[in-house]
Amino acid sequence: MKETLQKFFKIDRRWIFLLLAVTLFVPIVKPIGLPNKSISQATTRVYENIEKLPAGSFLLLSLDYDPSTRPELHPMAMALVRHAFSRNLRVGVVTYIAGSTGLIEELFAKVGKEYNKKDGTDYVILPYQPNILAVMTQMSSDMYGIYSKDRNGTPIAGMPVLKGVKSYKDMSLVVCVTGTAILDYWVAYVGDKYSVPVAGGVTAISQPGYGPYLQTNQLKGLIGGMKGAAEYESLIKQPGKGTSGIDALNLAHLLVLVLILTSNIILLFVKYF
Amino acid sequence: MALDTSIIAGGWLAAGLTIFLFSFLYKDNPFFKIAEHLYLGAGMGWLFQVSVTSVWIPKIWEPVSKGELLVIIPSVMGLLLLTQFIPKISWLSRYGFTFMMGYGSGLAIPAGLSTDFMSQIEGTIRPFSKLASMTPFSILSSLIVAAGTICVLFYFFFSVEHKGHLKKVSNVGIYFLMIYFGAAFGNTVMARFSLLYGRFDDLFTFSGASYFYATQAILAAMVIYFVIHWLVSGRKPASEEEAA
Repeated sequence: MKETLQKFFKIDRRWIFLLLAVTLFVPIVKPIGLPNKSISQATTRVYENIEKLPAGSFLLLSLDYDPSTRPELHPMAMALVRHAFSRNLRVGVVTYIAGSTGLIEELFAKVGKEYNKKDGTDYVILPYQPNILAVMTQMSSDMYGIYSKDRNGTPIAGMPVLKGVKSYKDMSLVVCVTGTAILDYWVAYVGDKYSVPVAGGVTAISQPGYGPYLQTNQLKGLIGGMKGAAEYESLIKQPGKGTSGIDALNLAHLLVLVLILTSNIILLFVKYF
Repeated sequence: MALDTSIIAGGWLAAGLTIFLFSFLYKDNPFFKIAEHLYLGAGMGWLFQVSVTSVWIPKIWEPVSKGELLVIIPSVMGLLLLTQFIPKISWLSRYGFTFMMGYGSGLAIPAGLSTDFMSQIEGTIRPFSKLASMTPFSILSSLIVAAGTICVLFYFFFSVEHKGHLKKVSNVGIYFLMIYFGAAFGNTVMARFSLLYGRFDDLFTFSGASYFYATQAILAAMVIYFVIHWLVSGRKPASEEEAA
């Protein structure tokens, strides 16, 4: 009996890979519709901070993610833009990751059309800039000193979307969506230094590390991973890729739990019986 | 709706490269190598064009063309960093590094002290100044945060031998650290599954008729390759081949 059970520990790990692949793939082919009932306080805080802004307020989005983190961050960026457009906020987009430019274009082409929002009037996408700290510092006094044109080369001075916006003090909220440490820079070099409200959207890996900033209110809210994206989609009542991913995530987590429990029970059995 | 040819080609490329890279989970193979080398090459090419189009042209070439000659100074300092590769004049790179160190430290030290040190100490202590207005749960939460901070700090205090009460406190600190590591690991697993889900979701999209069944075709081709390889290589299981 023990010998038979011990074979479990020598199982070819590729069977586990296959099992995991099937577990994740099945809900994509045939969605189960498992509910996403718990909405974290951190995500709700981001939602409430946007919800309380009066129409016409300027929201700065720093979308700093590339295709490597797209499944987690693109749905939350999409939900944030949908929320901002539904509240008739003016949206400015900056990025410090060159690989994000294509994703930003894709996002605004889709969501802009959904809400009939116009480039230059309702939103502006500024070009990628290297040397993030220099850009952040410059934007505190005069953003036109660093951004004179949008990503298509159109001069931004005089654009309706930027009317009355010159520096951070004219912005109601900054939300950074990133899989890098760029959110830390927004907190340290902009939020704390110039008293600008900063919120964030990060990958699940980075999420626990931002707990201290949430506790001290240095971060006004935080959306974490695909779960966070699903939560935000629930809050704005527009299910998207985050919500559809919950089926797969729930099943995959269940599989991991079953594997951990099974192996521990077998281990205890082999050791003590 | 019929898709544009370039979109279909993009779908085949994306599905192919994804399956090629995942095929390594079964065993190493030439298709994985192709995808790996292509990724490295494309990545380098992408970085080069970003440097040229987003840094070199707008930050150096255009200002100099307009007569703004001051940008030459930081450009030269940047170029001096490359002298590291020439031992005889490598000392010149120090000027560039000196500037970077001074500029970086000047920005980072005050911000770091304020954001990660002072604000965090304040955030740990402040709740105790308004205990009367707090709910019992908030008080408990604040106590746990303060106790956790103190215990973990004791764990990292190495100038005194950890024995007696100090050992007990630092042991509690270990538990707080373990809870953090557990949460971080759980979140890492969730993040990896999310990324895998993203690739599978794309593979499912490319498996449709509008993409001419790219996923199925490439997957079938990979299976055929592995079967032929298995037959030709004397029917050794993959695990044995790897061990050999």
